[in-house]
Amino acid sequence: MGQITVKGVSKLFGDRDAPDHVLALADVSFDIANNQFCSILGHSGCGKTTLLNIAAGFEKPTSGSILVDGDPIRAPGWQNTMIFQDYALFPWMSVYQNVVFGLEMKGLASHKRAGATQHYIELVGLGGFENKYPHQLSGGMRQRVAIARALAVQPQLLLMDEPFAALDAQNRDFMQDELVRIWQREPKTVMLVTHSIDEAIKLSDCIAVMTRRPGRVKEFINVDLPRPRDEDDRSYLSLKRKLRNLIHDEIEDK
Amino acid sequence: MSGSEKIAAGKGRMASAPKMRAALPFAVRFRIRLFRTLSFLPNLLLLLVLVLLWQFASKFWLPRIDPQMAILMPAPTTIAASAAGMIASGELFYHLAASLKREAFAFLYATSAIPLGMAMGWWRVVYNQVNPIMEILRPIPPLAWIPLSILWFGLGDAQNEFIIFLGIFFPILVNTIVGVKNIDPNLIRAARSLGATERKMLERIVFKGALPQIITGIRIGLGVGWMALVAAELVGANSGLGFLINDARSMLRTDTIIVGMLAIGVIGLLIDTFIRLLGRRLLPWSLALSK
Repeated sequence: MGQITVKGVSKLFGDRDAPDHVLALADVSFDIANNQFCSILGHSGCGKTTLLNIAAGFEKPTSGSILVDGDPIRAPGWQNTMIFQDYALFPWMSVYQNVVFGLEMKGLASHKRAGATQHYIELVGLGGFENKYPHQLSGGMRQRVAIARALAVQPQLLLMDEPFAALDAQNRDFMQDELVRIWQREPKTVMLVTHSIDEAIKLSDCIAVMTRRPGRVKEFINVDLPRPRDEDDRSYLSLKRKLRNLIHDEIEDK
Repeated sequence: MSGSEKIAAGKGRMASAPKMRAALPFAVRFRIRLFRTLSFLPNLLLLLVLVLLWQFASKFWLPRIDPQMAILMPAPTTIAASAAGMIASGELFYHLAASLKREAFAFLYATSAIPLGMAMGWWRVVYNQVNPIMEILRPIPPLAWIPLSILWFGLGDAQNEFIIFLGIFFPILVNTIVGVKNIDPNLIRAARSLGATERKMLERIVFKGALPQIITGIRIGLGVGWMALVAAELVGANSGLGFLINDARSMLRTDTIIVGMLAIGVIGLLIDTFIRLLGRRLLPWSLALSK
């Protein structure tokens, strides 16, 4: 299960009394139902990555907490694993070794590892590339490895930090479709950070639109368009317009 | 020298296209290699001229001016003949083996710099405590330890190995620390996020991530150690290449001295090349990263 509750999360960098302190997040609250795909949409510097880092256990909230099935997240671990923008694949490990790594850390019995690893490598479409090393793969393929590696540990919550930002436009479109396909085959609660409106609409069941710093949830939108999402569909376009206006206001305010 | 470095660097770039390379038939690869080797030969022209001048000076010019001086500067042919003699008699290999054995043992002890460097690079507390000590010890040249080490260990292998150890230890230590500190922080986070414990992290991520830099440290260390070795053997040994050349001095055997010097140079170069090739073979991903 992976029922996520973000409850009154605030994050302050630096000392409250110091002049250079930064309030990155201010009282952020929302819920993500089990196996829902939720995007955090906002400009850079709106604290969305900070929120993700708190969810990953890399940082502690100043107040509030993020709960998975009622238990607060305290430390990093396979339960709340993260996919990075720069893939963060271990360069000295082959595709297979990268994917099996989390299973070894998790202490899965060795005879079960091979099957599980192979399953996720096939799922992301990298069958036949098991023995390649990251530097021998293209950007899109590297991100597939990262996705397989994260899914293999069967997290309750999958976190993604602008996972396709480093790809070119065509690859990005393609990988977004691939992510939806993989997620539909292997449903997970996902929290994805992005600044791309299209990416948020294409992928998500719900979108939390963030204000500029200090980051608050400006609006929480449930997306119930049928999948696969048609970019020329009227409701897609009206949602896009709505999101653009919400985001645009944030620039105007500056 | 710089020419050969450039060629070596070029080869490194080539390694990034392993598929293409493997596809070439052996005959073609052989011809490419042969061509590379041959095209390097013109770079040796100046060296050849200098050796010929040396030969002329030693055999014809110096003897006419002052026969005494001719002894101080033996001709290349004389040196070659001595080298052949020393190889045939096994004398050269005896001393070489003694030196290599010391270098090897000293290296073995000096690998203790790897866990220490990892601890210093990984735990801030360890770094803060140990670094001041290292910063005081590090600038002291290994040679400055010779008098004290003779009193501590007496003359012989232990004293020699201690001096060499000092030469190897610090480059490995410094490079290990740098290697650990320079690991991409996202790799550490990724490993944490996949559930790695502190111990697994050190074994599987920190050590592996720092390994290219550790190997660089080993290369530099073995080089410094090799220099320290000769100095240590000059004063405190009765075997080894350093002893060989110092011993030959007392008998005015300049040809033996030069053979010993050349052996020291050639072996130093071989050790360095060996470690470099080993690193390239073991860590192909590291080259791809540095590109």
